[in-house]
Amino acid sequence: MEAAGSGGAGIDRAAFEEFLIHEATLLDARRFRDWMALFTDDGTYWVPAVPDQRSPFDQASLFYDDRDLMKTRVDRLEHPLIHVQTPPSRTAHLVGNVIVEQADAPGGEFVVGSTVIMVEYRDDAQRMFAGRQHHRLRRVGAGFRIVQKRVDLINCDSAFEAIAVPI
Amino acid sequence: MLNGYTEDIAKLIEPGRVHRRVYTDPELFELEMERIFGSAWLFVGHTSQVPKPGDYITTELGRQPVIMCRHSDGSVQVLVNRCSHRGAKVVNERRGHAPRLVCCYHGWSYDTDGSLLSVAVPEGCCKGFDKEAFGLARAPRIGDYRGFIFANLAATGPSFEDHIGSMKGNIDDLVDRAPDGTLALDVGMHRYVYNGNWKLQVENVLDSYHVPFGHASTVNKEGVQFARREGDQKGAAVIETKKQQTAGSWKDRKSYIVGNGHGWTSNTMLDDGKRSSQAFDEYKRALANKVGAERAMQILTPRLHNSLIYPNMSIMGLNIHVRVIKPLAVDRTEVTIYPIRLCGAPESMNFGNIRLLNVTHSAASFVQTDDLESFVRTQKGLRSNLTDWVDISRGLGDEEPERELNATRGLATHEMVVRAQYKAWLGYMREAI
Repeated sequence: MEAAGSGGAGIDRAAFEEFLIHEATLLDARRFRDWMALFTDDGTYWVPAVPDQRSPFDQASLFYDDRDLMKTRVDRLEHPLIHVQTPPSRTAHLVGNVIVEQADAPGGEFVVGSTVIMVEYRDDAQRMFAGRQHHRLRRVGAGFRIVQKRVDLINCDSAFEAIAVPI
Repeated sequence: MLNGYTEDIAKLIEPGRVHRRVYTDPELFELEMERIFGSAWLFVGHTSQVPKPGDYITTELGRQPVIMCRHSDGSVQVLVNRCSHRGAKVVNERRGHAPRLVCCYHGWSYDTDGSLLSVAVPEGCCKGFDKEAFGLARAPRIGDYRGFIFANLAATGPSFEDHIGSMKGNIDDLVDRAPDGTLALDVGMHRYVYNGNWKLQVENVLDSYHVPFGHASTVNKEGVQFARREGDQKGAAVIETKKQQTAGSWKDRKSYIVGNGHGWTSNTMLDDGKRSSQAFDEYKRALANKVGAERAMQILTPRLHNSLIYPNMSIMGLNIHVRVIKPLAVDRTEVTIYPIRLCGAPESMNFGNIRLLNVTHSAASFVQTDDLESFVRTQKGLRSNLTDWVDISRGLGDEEPERELNATRGLATHEMVVRAQYKAWLGYMREAI
C-alpha cells in the first residue's frame, strides 16, 4: 500500500469526502441501523481511551465494537426504555481536513484521515467532541464500506459524562 | 444552617429514610470532606500501578491531591502533592516515572519518600532553615492488603485492620482467581463524571433492585441481557417476560453487611458448568495447576457479585473491576473503573474482560450510562423541598443474622445495605475532629 497525498496517485479525494459526509449525516439523522450497514461484516468501530493507543485488546477503550456489539448498541438505541436517551441527543458532525493517507487501488482498500467535530445537545446541555478520525475503507461495487473507523478524541483520556451515541 | 453540630446531623438519618440535604447541602459536603474523607481509610491504588522505584500515580483523597509512588527501597508511599515551599502541585501528570519529584515553580526537589533533597539557591535560606522539616507531607497511615493500598489522612482512629475486617475475604475472592495469586490494574481505565452526589454511586453498586428497570434497554425481548463474560453462552436472565416481573435469580439474590458501611451482594455464577470456551477452559486448567483442582473449584464456586469497601471503593466480581469514587462537589462526582488483569490467566481471557468493561462500564457503555442518567435525575429531583425525605425502607426489619459469616443478611433488592452505609456515614459525621 502506498502513501498518497490529497488527490495524489490518481485518487479522487472528493469521493471519500462525500462518503464521510454521508456517514456523518446518517449519525446526525439517528439512522443508526443504516450507519451500521456501512460497515463490512468484519468491520469495527474504535474510540481509544488514551492517545496513540496501539491496540484495542490489551487496554480499555471508550468504544470497541465489532458488528455484534454494534447491533446490541443499535438495538439499545432503539429501545423505548433507554433512559440516557430520554430525551434523545441531537448531534451535528463536521468533517474536514480530509486526506487519503494510504491507498491500495488494485486491492480496493484506502485509509482516509479527517478531522471530526461533533456538537451534541441533550436535556438542556450542549457539549463538544473533537479529534482526528481514520477510516479504513474497502471498495464494494460502486461505493465503500468501512473496515475500521477509529476516532482519536483530543480528550480521550478525560472523564466523560455519559456518551450514548457514536461519535 | 447545620453549623456542624452533631445533634443536627443525626436528625438527617432516620431508620428508613434520609433527609435530602445529605445529597444537596454544600456545607454538609464540606463536612464530609473533613470528617469522612479526612479521617476514613480510603483506597488509593494498587501496587501494580507503580511496579518500579520512581513510578507514580496521582489522585485526590477528598480535597487532598496525593502522589502514590514507589520509593527506592521498594516501599509504596502516599505523599501530599503540594510543595512545602509555596504550595504548588508538584507532580502534574496522572501517572509516570520520576526518580525525583521537582516543583515547577522554584525547583525544590523531593525524594520519592517525600524528603526534601535540594532547594535552588540554598544560600538564600534563612538561618536555621531545617530541610528535614520541609519534606512533602505524608499520609500519616497506610494499609496494604494484597497490593491494595489504602491511606488514612488522620494520625489517629481505627486501625486499618479494624476498618477492613472481613472485607479482606472479598479482596481474596478476586485475587485468588489469578493463577499466579496476584492481579494488576495496568490495563487502562474508564473515567466518568456526573452531576450528582458521590453517595448515589456508592449506594448503586450494591443495588440489585434497579437492574430490571434501570437497565431495561440492555435486555432483549426474552428478558435476557447480552452475554457478559468469556465462555458464557448467553447473558443473565433479568426479567421473566411472561409474568413481566424481575427474574428469580435477581429477586433471590442476597446482600450482606459487616459494619463500617461495607457490604456485598452474592450469587454470581462464576462457573455453572456450562461456561466454556477455549480461553476459559485454559484458564481453569492454569488455576488448577497452581492451586489444585479442589481449591480451583472453590474459587470458581459462586459467592460474590459486588463488594463495597466504604466509603470510596468497590470490587465487581462479574465483569471484574475495581471502582473508585471521588467526590468533586456536592453535585459532581468522578468515578474511575480499573479493569482487572488476572496474572497467570490466558491473555485472551484478560483481553475478553477488557472488552467487556468497554461495553458495561466505559463512559460510552450500555450499562453504566443508564445509571448515570438515574444519578443525574435524582440530583435534579432532590432540588424539590416539598418532600424532604428519601425512602430507603425496603426490607426494614427483615434483616437476619448470618452467623457463619459474622454478617447480617438481607435480600439484594432490599435497602439494608444503604441503611448500613448511612449508619457508617453518621458515625463519621458526628465525630468532630
